[in-house]
Amino acid sequence: MDARLRRVNKEIADCKNDKTSNIQIELIDENPFHLKGSFPGPEGTPYQGGHFEVDIVIPESYPFQPVKMKFLTKVYHPNVSSASGAICLDILKDAWSPVLTLKSTLISLQSLLCSPEPNDPQDAEVAKHYTTSKNSFDETATYWTQIYAGGPGAKEKKGKSAASKAEARDEVAIAGLEKAHVDQFEALGFPRSKVIDVLRRLNYRGANVAKLTDDRVVEELLK
Amino acid sequence: MASDYEFSDSDGDYDDDEDMIDGTQDETGESEDDMDMDAFGDDFKVVPKGKRKSFEIEYESLSQSDVEKLMKKDVEDIVGILGVDESTANLLLRHMSWNTERLIEKYMDNPTKVLVAAGVTVEEPPSSPAPIRSHSIPNSATIGTSQSGRRPTRSSSKLLGSKSPSALKSSSTVSPTSTTRLSPRATDLPTPFVCPICFDDAPTLRPLSLTCSHPFCSGCWTAYISSKITDEAEHAIRCMAEGCALVATDTFIHDLLTASDVDPEEAKVNEETWARFQELLIRHFVASNPNLKYCPYPACTNTVSCPAAASKASLTSVVPIVSCGARGIPGAAQASGSGGNLGLPGKEHKFCFGCPIESDHRPVVCAAARLWLKKCRDDSETANWIKSNTKECSMCMSTIEKNGGCNHMTCKKCKHEFCWVCMGPWSEHGTAWYSCNRYDEKAGVEARDAQSRSRASLERYLHYYNRWANHEQSAKLSLDLYAKTEKKMEDMQITSELTWIEVQFMKKAVEEVDKCRMTLKWTYAMAYYLAKGNEKDLFEDNQRDLEKAVEDLSELLESPIEAENIPMLRQKVTDKTVYVQKRNEIVLEDTAAGFLEGRWKWNVAIDGFDDPEKTEF
Ligand SMILES: [Zn+2]
Ligand SMILES: [Zn+2]
Ligand SMILES: [Zn+2]
Ligand SMILES: [Zn+2]
Ligand SMILES: [Zn+2]
Ligand SMILES: [Zn+2]
Repeated sequence: MDARLRRVNKEIADCKNDKTSNIQIELIDENPFHLKGSFPGPEGTPYQGGHFEVDIVIPESYPFQPVKMKFLTKVYHPNVSSASGAICLDILKDAWSPVLTLKSTLISLQSLLCSPEPNDPQDAEVAKHYTTSKNSFDETATYWTQIYAGGPGAKEKKGKSAASKAEARDEVAIAGLEKAHVDQFEALGFPRSKVIDVLRRLNYRGANVAKLTDDRVVEELLK
Repeated sequence: MASDYEFSDSDGDYDDDEDMIDGTQDETGESEDDMDMDAFGDDFKVVPKGKRKSFEIEYESLSQSDVEKLMKKDVEDIVGILGVDESTANLLLRHMSWNTERLIEKYMDNPTKVLVAAGVTVEEPPSSPAPIRSHSIPNSATIGTSQSGRRPTRSSSKLLGSKSPSALKSSSTVSPTSTTRLSPRATDLPTPFVCPICFDDAPTLRPLSLTCSHPFCSGCWTAYISSKITDEAEHAIRCMAEGCALVATDTFIHDLLTASDVDPEEAKVNEETWARFQELLIRHFVASNPNLKYCPYPACTNTVSCPAAASKASLTSVVPIVSCGARGIPGAAQASGSGGNLGLPGKEHKFCFGCPIESDHRPVVCAAARLWLKKCRDDSETANWIKSNTKECSMCMSTIEKNGGCNHMTCKKCKHEFCWVCMGPWSEHGTAWYSCNRYDEKAGVEARDAQSRSRASLERYLHYYNRWANHEQSAKLSLDLYAKTEKKMEDMQITSELTWIEVQFMKKAVEEVDKCRMTLKWTYAMAYYLAKGNEKDLFEDNQRDLEKAVEDLSELLESPIEAENIPMLRQKVTDKTVYVQKRNEIVLEDTAAGFLEGRWKWNVAIDGFDDPEKTEF
């Protein structure tokens, strides 16, 4: 049997048998070299309670070349691209060692969530947020965990009736959006909550604002 | 070989040259061809061969094995001085980028530090058990490992700055003679052995480790080392254990890649990988030595040694164009047509030793040549229209396509004759008033307001760029010209009494035109930056004379052949070729002399030269 396949199969089986680590690796389809990993957000962090999914691509020369991983779940973190989920982590690059496994790499991602490295950022905007205002950063990261990673509070919030104006304003800030942008599209006659939802989904922040035309946003709002 | 231009440190003896060629390449057949050219090309000799001209630099072409000898000498020196074994000396030298003096100095100062940094020995652990974490990897208890190793400290060696005296003592007791442990019993292996990478536990498995005792199976080692060499072009290959900074020795790598317990196909791949590793080592050595440069042509493994151009300062007075001695690209189609007897050799591996330009940019110095190329890149948008291959006849407006190197255009429709470059009537170019090469500076001087000044500046640039691009275009079309010439040579043999040898004058002429267009091309870059004055006028006079001669010869080569004219044509082409060659040498020699004398003054700031006096141009 192909050595790479044998190793990957063994890794998947080992991970299944291990009930203590909370790391999951599953097949997406019959391709054994394109997998999905997931783990719970670490306790005592803004990611607590969330469930984070990672796209795993195993290259031809694995494990002698590093595995390719990126977050499928949107994560608000200095070392993770808020748009693409790309991860900046040394073991995924030149510090990779063939003795590392999919599981140990996923554990490293989990621990990356505990200890961000804002000086080696993947997402400069998020890193800036982290270094300038830790509290505000934590709020946004918690909010993203609720919205995207199924964190606590997400479900009860859905059950609530119309959100108050004050709460909505907070929502704008912690969604990492600009009030002026939300106001602009609300003025066109769309419900505020819908505007926030769409702008968040389109990642209407920072440099992305220039890339997204108003028409494109309105198109999404009309859907 | 372009023997006239080939440097040889001998007295020009023919056999010496052949030896050099044979030592550096194995393209058979070509030297034979060259011999014919040398024997029968005497019509064209201007200067006796073997003598270096003022615009040529002294250099030496080295084969891969020549460079290996140089490396071996350095290694032997280090073995002798530091008393280490050959493998260790190699790793130390590579770590120090082959700076022997610095290595000796650092090693004398603190051997442990150097040995650890070079990956020869493991860092002495601070009285804790040996780091055999990797043993636990196959089990589930990996959390601690991966977290502590999330940002593995490759810089751990740096921590040694404050090492204890005991660490120093231990280093001197380290015997670097056995850097690899190939015996399975040599380490504290758990039995039976399970490879922590492929999870294989077959009893036939061959566990191997470096002196750090991190064992992995031979199959995994081979796959890992191959991937590092092939995918990453890495020559310093670290141990596979996480965070371990030990570097695999050449012996270790060689043993793996020449192992006999693999199938023939894999053995062949391994052999290629080993060759590639050797090449990486040589490339690293060459890149570390300012006197050496690796030939940039694809698949070529030769090196050129040129100490005369090793310093940046030297590049203001010489243009170090060198050749590795080889020709053509292995496997690629050569310039000659399908099985024709012209037998044109592949392109000579000419490149600049002083800058990344992979062709002959004489007469202009590196800094100015690169400045010009950058300008052309930046301004390519505005200048793009010029490059187009078609133009309209200024008389009848019909479209005319250029298809040869000659600038003398005749409109097929109205028979109007004009110059492709300046679009002026050709009649003026044939007289003493020929001045197609010279930009009329008056227009620039007269420009008063900013807008017309900027227009004048663009026009000025386009004047030079136009001519530059035209020679480049013509040189590109030289493949066509080669093919056409080959056809003509065949025709000549049929229609006349001339033998194959006797029609070689055509080939020589085509080669000369090609070479001179290269010179002409770069003279326009040079002239663009030359400050106004007598020196520039003289430069442009020489440029004009060469250009005129080249266009005349080009035209001769494109003229139709009639049997009764062949002897006359042969005489004319031969004479013109000699003349063109002479004009080319005048340009090159005078420019080279000017650089040595510091005669050339620029109109812009050029790296390494004095800033120009404020002048308008
Ligand atoms: Zn193995
Ligand atoms: Zn090791
Ligand atoms: Zn070469
Ligand atoms: Zn150069
Ligand atoms: Zn016409
Ligand atoms: Zn002209």
